[in-house]
Amino acid sequence: MAAEELDGAGYIQTTTVSDPLLSSPTSALDLPFDVPSLLALARRGQWRAVLDAVAAARRGSGLHPHHHLVCLALSVLSLSKLRRFSDAAAEIDALDAPFDSSRFRFEAYPSTYPGRSGSMIPFALRFLHADLPQRLGSRSVTVDRLYALLDLVQSKIREETTGASNELWRRRQGFLLAALCGNHFVHREFEVALALVRQLLERDPSDPMLLSRLGYVQLQIGDLTGAKASFARLESLHPEGERTVELKNLVGRNRALEFIVAKNYTAAVREYEECIERDAADVVALNNKALCLMYSRDLSDSIKVLEGALERVPTAALNEILVVNLCSMYELAYVSHGDVKKSLSNWIAQVAPDDFDPSCTRT
Amino acid sequence: MSSPQDNSPSHHSLAFRVMRLCRPSFHAEDAVLRLLDPLDLLAAEDLLDDPALPAESVHRLSDPATPDAAAAGDFTFRDRFQIRNPVDAMSLSGLLVLPQSFGNIYLGETFSSYISVNNSSKFEARDVIIKAEIQTERQRILLLDTTKSPVESIRSGGRYDFIVEHDVKELGPHTLVCSALYNDGDSERKYLPQFFKFVVNNPLSVRTKVTSFNYCITLENTYLEACIENHTKSNLYMDQVEFDPAPQWIATRLEGDNYSSDTNSKTRGIFTPPVLIRAGGGIYNYLYLIKSTLEESGQGKADGSSILGKFQITWRTNLGEPGRLQTQQIYGTPITQKDIDMHLLDVPPVIILERPFQVHLSLTNQTERTLGPFEVSISPGITSSEEKMVMINGIQKLMLPPVEASNSSIIDLNMIATKLGVQKISGITLFDVREKKSYEPLPDVEIFVDIIS
Repeated sequence: MAAEELDGAGYIQTTTVSDPLLSSPTSALDLPFDVPSLLALARRGQWRAVLDAVAAARRGSGLHPHHHLVCLALSVLSLSKLRRFSDAAAEIDALDAPFDSSRFRFEAYPSTYPGRSGSMIPFALRFLHADLPQRLGSRSVTVDRLYALLDLVQSKIREETTGASNELWRRRQGFLLAALCGNHFVHREFEVALALVRQLLERDPSDPMLLSRLGYVQLQIGDLTGAKASFARLESLHPEGERTVELKNLVGRNRALEFIVAKNYTAAVREYEECIERDAADVVALNNKALCLMYSRDLSDSIKVLEGALERVPTAALNEILVVNLCSMYELAYVSHGDVKKSLSNWIAQVAPDDFDPSCTRT
Repeated sequence: MSSPQDNSPSHHSLAFRVMRLCRPSFHAEDAVLRLLDPLDLLAAEDLLDDPALPAESVHRLSDPATPDAAAAGDFTFRDRFQIRNPVDAMSLSGLLVLPQSFGNIYLGETFSSYISVNNSSKFEARDVIIKAEIQTERQRILLLDTTKSPVESIRSGGRYDFIVEHDVKELGPHTLVCSALYNDGDSERKYLPQFFKFVVNNPLSVRTKVTSFNYCITLENTYLEACIENHTKSNLYMDQVEFDPAPQWIATRLEGDNYSSDTNSKTRGIFTPPVLIRAGGGIYNYLYLIKSTLEESGQGKADGSSILGKFQITWRTNLGEPGRLQTQQIYGTPITQKDIDMHLLDVPPVIILERPFQVHLSLTNQTERTLGPFEVSISPGITSSEEKMVMINGIQKLMLPPVEASNSSIIDLNMIATKLGVQKISGITLFDVREKKSYEPLPDVEIFVDIIS
């Protein structure tokens, strides 16, 4: 499948390739590959193909400095997705200069980018650089880099630039605060996670996703009163008549969680079924409904719900957690569960994106 | 997931599969996703600094609604790559995950388990009597017994499921014994026992300290400090910590002001910081004022023989999984009412080697008659070889006049240190000359002896 895409027209656009001394200056948006095709590969999870496409682009001539950096970012992302973390780290190390070096600024190449100034580094590259150490066993380095990156973003926000630029950096700030919150949550540092959610809520107090996530952190801690208040606030800020399908499902799933806490699994299942009726690809509802069935002593039906989800909406349902849950159910349901897990594994291998973690089937 | 410890040599049609069913947890998908905005990936970070940049070309990169180049029916895993909303970087989609291991079990929790009796043979199993019980060192607790209405049949490839729950009230080893008595394919009556062992540990320890302060002869306050330490491997949310006083006492919890840095915060009101005690040794302290409900004069003393009350503690973990414990009765500490209270008021902040310095002592006569005169000295150490590095400067015995009933006096004591570094002022002893009575020396105080800078 990959070979056909590569041979298709234009990962290397011949029109922009020429001698840098003779060519007209380039736009900072020009890239040595076809952007829509590349994004399509990424959205289909075909990271090996992305890696190949980037390698092909790098082999082309007439690449400008910002091309190299974008290719680097894509390469590091692909390697990370394929769980080749040491290779990804090695690629960044090969840069041989820190991101803030003047080499990576437009001003250093006035003939190529006349009148343009600023950093050429794609922001994602900084983020990936911060993320890598924890994949290689040094979580504290990741946390340090993420907070340092947050400082950088906040200083950019304070600079007087264009309105669009300011908005972009604010989005990045939200992104980092959220990433840090998730990191602290995973490591059970709940007080810090709560503080970060609170900070995000200060910026946008009525964001329903944020209020929900605050509730989830509170539920994970066991603070049932707090979670109830967070969910109630969400509902009162977004009255019923004005809700999109997405929001209706969010509210429904939150209500279901409150039923689960009260061990009222029947009511929880009803809420989830309403969500699924509104959106057949609501994987959170499907997954959680299956768990409720299991806690109601109905292991057979819980398995059916998850298998059905994988069959009917495979691209939405195929995620590592749903598979982990299904495998746990198989292990409980079958004395010799090796066979049924093996056929699940085989199906996954054919259908899953390149970045799917196969270890979740525990086969 | 528990592996059965089955000693039966014969071949069984049935087998027990057991999974501990504590509440599920939320998953934060940290591992793979790292959702990104394509603009952050494909363009310089300072791109938008240029106001002349054409908006559509930028938009083309970032807009998640851009249709895929591929055909409509193709697989798309867009949500594993492209972020919709920056806040999605937190993941925490609300997906729940089943408990992935047996974990630890603590006193006060509820042990809950899914038990599935599987028939993996080619033949039907009939008239199945299933029993589940918990055995500890002290007792056997029956959780399930289908003797009165046996399961008529479990077909080949079929299952009979049940969920058991048991409030854990004992420490130490426990065994979940599951047994099935059934007729197999040859109409032979077979008996299958399976044993699943686990150990119950103590989740918390509660250390208490009772202190009474005499403000004056008629006013005495008793304070109860309780330090809760978490011995489990999870963070524990303290849902309720209540001190239940014995009938003759009233207890009031004393709390510090909740320091909140944002008085104008938009999030105040939905956000009370929870009391969360960290796993593996975290602690939290509680303070109560204990007052007697009886008349103050004489009867309300919290001495060693009186019961103050006990603590009821409810904690929670993921999705509200509760645990409950009650402490034993807490007693007041035995009070040796001292006639004389002497303590060190202050010590100079800078103490130089071999330079005299002054400390101040307070001496209070807590009786109703005049006491004294007194002598203050530094008593020698327990062993004669123990040298004192901080001594009284000058005459080694300080003479003090008598002190009247309920009165205090402040004493200046001139001292000198003979050695550098961290030293102790220890052994300051009071001797009542008239009653020929020596009091316990003051507790040691650490000081730092410096050289002249």
